Amino acid sequence: MSGEGASGGGATAPARTTPQFSQLSVGIKSAKIQQNGGFFSSKADPYLELSVDGQSPRKTEVNKKTWMPSWNEHFTVLVTPYSKLDFKVLNHFSMKSDQLLGQVSLDLHKLLTLNNGKFNHLQHKLEMKADDKGSLKRSGEIMIMLDGMNVNMEQFPARTGPVPNGTAQSSTSSQSAASSTSRHAAAPPRPSASNAAALSGAAAASQPRGKGPAPPLPPPPNSSASGATSATVTAPSATTTSSTTTSTPGTPSPSVTTAPATTPTAQQNGVAPGGQEPLPAGWEMRIDQHQRAYYVDHNTHTTTWERPQPLPAGWERRVDNRGRVYYVDHNSRTTTWQRPTTDTLQTYQQWQAWRQNRNQNMDQMANRFLFPQQLPQAQENDPLGPLPDGWEKRVDANGRVYFVNHQNRTTQWEDPRTQGIMQEDPLPEGWEMRYTGEGVRYFVDHNTRTTTFQDPRGGSGKGPVGAFGVPIQYERSFRWKLGQFRFLCQTNALPSHVKISVSRQTLFEDSFHQSNALPGHVKIHVTRDNLFETSFHQIMRLQPFDLRRRLYIIFRGEEGLDYGGPAREWFFRLSHEVLNPMYCLFEYANNNNYCLQINPASTVNPDHLTYFKFIGRFIAMALYHGKFIDSGFTMPFYKNMLSKKLTLADIESIDPEFYNSLVWIKENDIEECGLELFFHADFEILGKLNQVELKPGGENIQVTEENKEEYITLMTNWRFNRGVEEQTKSFLEGFNEVVPLQWLQYFDERELELMLCGMQEIDVDDWERHSIYRHYTRNSKQVQWFWKFTRELGNEQRTRLLQFVTGTCRLPVGGFAELMGSNGPQRFCVEKVGKETWLPRSHTCFNRLDLPPYKSYEQLVEKLTLAIEETEGFGQE
Amino acid sequence: MSKNKTVLLYYYLFVNKASTYARKCSIHGKTDIYQNQFLVYFRVSYLFSLPDGTLSDVRNNKMAATRRLTKELGDIRKAAMPSFRDIKVDESNILNWQALLTPDQPPYNKGAFRIEINFPAEYPFKPPKITFKTKIYHPNIDEKGQVCLPIISPENWKPATKTDQVIQALVSLVNEPEPEHPLRGDIAEEYTKNKKLYLKSAEDYTKKYSEKRPSD
Repeated sequence: MSGEGASGGGATAPARTTPQFSQLSVGIKSAKIQQNGGFFSSKADPYLELSVDGQSPRKTEVNKKTWMPSWNEHFTVLVTPYSKLDFKVLNHFSMKSDQLLGQVSLDLHKLLTLNNGKFNHLQHKLEMKADDKGSLKRSGEIMIMLDGMNVNMEQFPARTGPVPNGTAQSSTSSQSAASSTSRHAAAPPRPSASNAAALSGAAAASQPRGKGPAPPLPPPPNSSASGATSATVTAPSATTTSSTTTSTPGTPSPSVTTAPATTPTAQQNGVAPGGQEPLPAGWEMRIDQHQRAYYVDHNTHTTTWERPQPLPAGWERRVDNRGRVYYVDHNSRTTTWQRPTTDTLQTYQQWQAWRQNRNQNMDQMANRFLFPQQLPQAQENDPLGPLPDGWEKRVDANGRVYFVNHQNRTTQWEDPRTQGIMQEDPLPEGWEMRYTGEGVRYFVDHNTRTTTFQDPRGGSGKGPVGAFGVPIQYERSFRWKLGQFRFLCQTNALPSHVKISVSRQTLFEDSFHQSNALPGHVKIHVTRDNLFETSFHQIMRLQPFDLRRRLYIIFRGEEGLDYGGPAREWFFRLSHEVLNPMYCLFEYANNNNYCLQINPASTVNPDHLTYFKFIGRFIAMALYHGKFIDSGFTMPFYKNMLSKKLTLADIESIDPEFYNSLVWIKENDIEECGLELFFHADFEILGKLNQVELKPGGENIQVTEENKEEYITLMTNWRFNRGVEEQTKSFLEGFNEVVPLQWLQYFDERELELMLCGMQEIDVDDWERHSIYRHYTRNSKQVQWFWKFTRELGNEQRTRLLQFVTGTCRLPVGGFAELMGSNGPQRFCVEKVGKETWLPRSHTCFNRLDLPPYKSYEQLVEKLTLAIEETEGFGQE
Repeated sequence: MSKNKTVLLYYYLFVNKASTYARKCSIHGKTDIYQNQFLVYFRVSYLFSLPDGTLSDVRNNKMAATRRLTKELGDIRKAAMPSFRDIKVDESNILNWQALLTPDQPPYNKGAFRIEINFPAEYPFKPPKITFKTKIYHPNIDEKGQVCLPIISPENWKPATKTDQVIQALVSLVNEPEPEHPLRGDIAEEYTKNKKLYLKSAEDYTKKYSEKRPSD
């Protein structure tokens, strides 16, 4: 990224050579890890992390139980010749921090110089080191293969660095960590004196030939001169600059062994007329029998009469699948068939300079007005305030405004600030709300194809009410919102997705790296016995945007085409796992509400924040790919995702007792009854009491009639956030990486739940299997009738029956087997109580139904139906 | 393997204390080995993460609930209720009270019943919980000592409800059972159908299991 910035502002930042981005394929073959002592009696589960210039790492799969892991994975990374590749081998642990087994950092420039700027299936061995009681010790070796890079090293002189000569291939960990954080500040180390002293001087010397007639350097044109000065400053050996340097120094002597073909090139070039620049790497000039010069490209095994010019910085030559050569400009991310030359680029640069000049003139014209710089003004006055972090407003070629989300690489037409704002009231059918460039709201009537600033909703009523007590318009509007959301998902599917057609072959191949090399699909391998861990590891090592590619979920050992079945199962099973309160990451809202919320006690797991990030990504994937999860979250949790303000009423669903008490305080005169309340609060996490002052000095401020409103507001906020702030943040971060949270703004919390969970079906067989009886048996007539009755009910009625006996319509993650009472696990129980004239009664705190011994099925149906219908909520006990 | 064993050792050493605190993790009866490993890990790491002495003195006197309970306890002791005696409160933990309940009506007036009142950290936003430590033959108290007392049920609880009111409600429930809302249907049935038999069973039970009433 910073490289782009440097090249973009070329006119003002000439001091550095423009880094050229090239694609480099790094094959991670295998490693040998030295066992350090007998502390680890068992073998390690190693995996490798590769990070380029301190950017977010790519990870290999975990090899189980071995000191000789063999990964055979390929990563394609964007590098400059000065890039530094950091390799780390880590030992994977479940639910605890992974342990570093060794690391090594590879200086590309040095290796490139040795290989004449070209990697062609280059096998390379790296020695990794590990910190052993303060000193660095050799801890093993890594075998890698580098491929696909081809640059002209003459354009990339060595940069001096403070690295001692002894470390020829790998600098030590601490230095690499420091240098990798800032790419330009810390230059890669100079090649060691043993084999490359001459070369570094020579390479640097080639730099300032800018004074020659045709500078080979890329835009900006004036960079060559100052490039010379910078080279002089940083590399003392380069002080022997002169414009007469035509002695092609780019081919170092050590490379004779690795690339013998280039040696004659150097000699040939040596006799070339002055002022001509050296040939690019891999080229050779030959003279035919008619004394005509021709040029051989050893890279492509072709010949040409024309003298090749090296590609300008940032350009790359590629061959498409039909064998045609084209050129990629990494600076502007464009491609062309035309081979770029310095001349054409110079012309382009002149045109750009002219245009910039003209724009400046235009600005001066604008200054004649009273309000200079109208555009920034308009942005400041934007009634919607600034865009959220990481968002940018852009205009497409047709002048239409769109929005870019840099955080997760998505674009959309909608303004993220107004997305979902129409929750206030749905628009009539066929209407759409839009915003002008200045942010003024207007309305499009697609029925009549007209626009107006007048809000068509006016003050009219909401229209007829549908089946679920909401206006029909509103139901329709959920479908519309869903459509909008799906549209965003589709338009932001990664472009490679549709184009790649080789995927069918990779589908059947049993290795992860294949799908990495072909970026059309993401393949996720999971085993059923360790679903959580394997899924966690794989999801976290992928780039977040990769998770928006089409998914292929493969259950190991039962490979098949994933047309949605395995994916559906994966979402279902994994959600069942990760949300299971057993892992302490989530907990039930309370005994009567099986909705899940973040467990404040999750801190017992030191890595819990990473896990929440993972779950955030996973939940976003479920929404993005339109799959359901097994259980649901609490309403306040959804509201949090929608960044809606939480109110006192929201407490009711997660903590009715707390809610009742707060309401009681709100509605009664508290000064009469000696509540002894102060502005501080306690809560307990795993036996540890945490105390919080609701406001500074609150411990000594008593709650009175005057300040109790403030107290209630503060208590409400505290109740929702206590102990889970960090976890919520990590979850939302993970979510936002895959799906921007703004996309959810169309929905309210109930719709979000519906999208994520679907309607919950009650499984009567599961219910019956996990029920117990008192004074009845499984075979009692009344019990048989009860289950017959339950089976005959529709799902909605069944939900009400469940609510009647347990007080909730939600089931725990594990189904009826994990039903909870107010004192721990409590299975559903049918007890024989009373006379046949009695109505059935329920004890929701013990999940118990008192079923009198009715004489007939009809009588049971009548009494039970009456009890369910007549009882409001769960006021039975 | 040896590392695992060490972990397990710690686990067994601490499990008794830890289980109370890690209740939230372990409420499920599943015996899946993989999940148990998590529990072990959680419990152990939790114990290690506590600073010294935290287990005993977390409940210091600066808590929000403490001021209120200190006041209530003082009032109750001053009032010297006849049916609620021998109140024991651990100085380090005012959230846990133990006392003897001495009903004045037959068949329970032949003995004393030890009860425990547990106040939540969020008291008075949440009601206290009452359990009978002494076995009692009563339609509204089950075999585990659980009691369904309306005044402290989630629906009825008010932060202004005082503990002495709760105790009075408990005493009157013990003295006058409510067979219409039984926790033990068999005793309730006996109570309504054959009161004599009920009185005898309850008295026998009281003699057999209850504690001695403190002499005044």
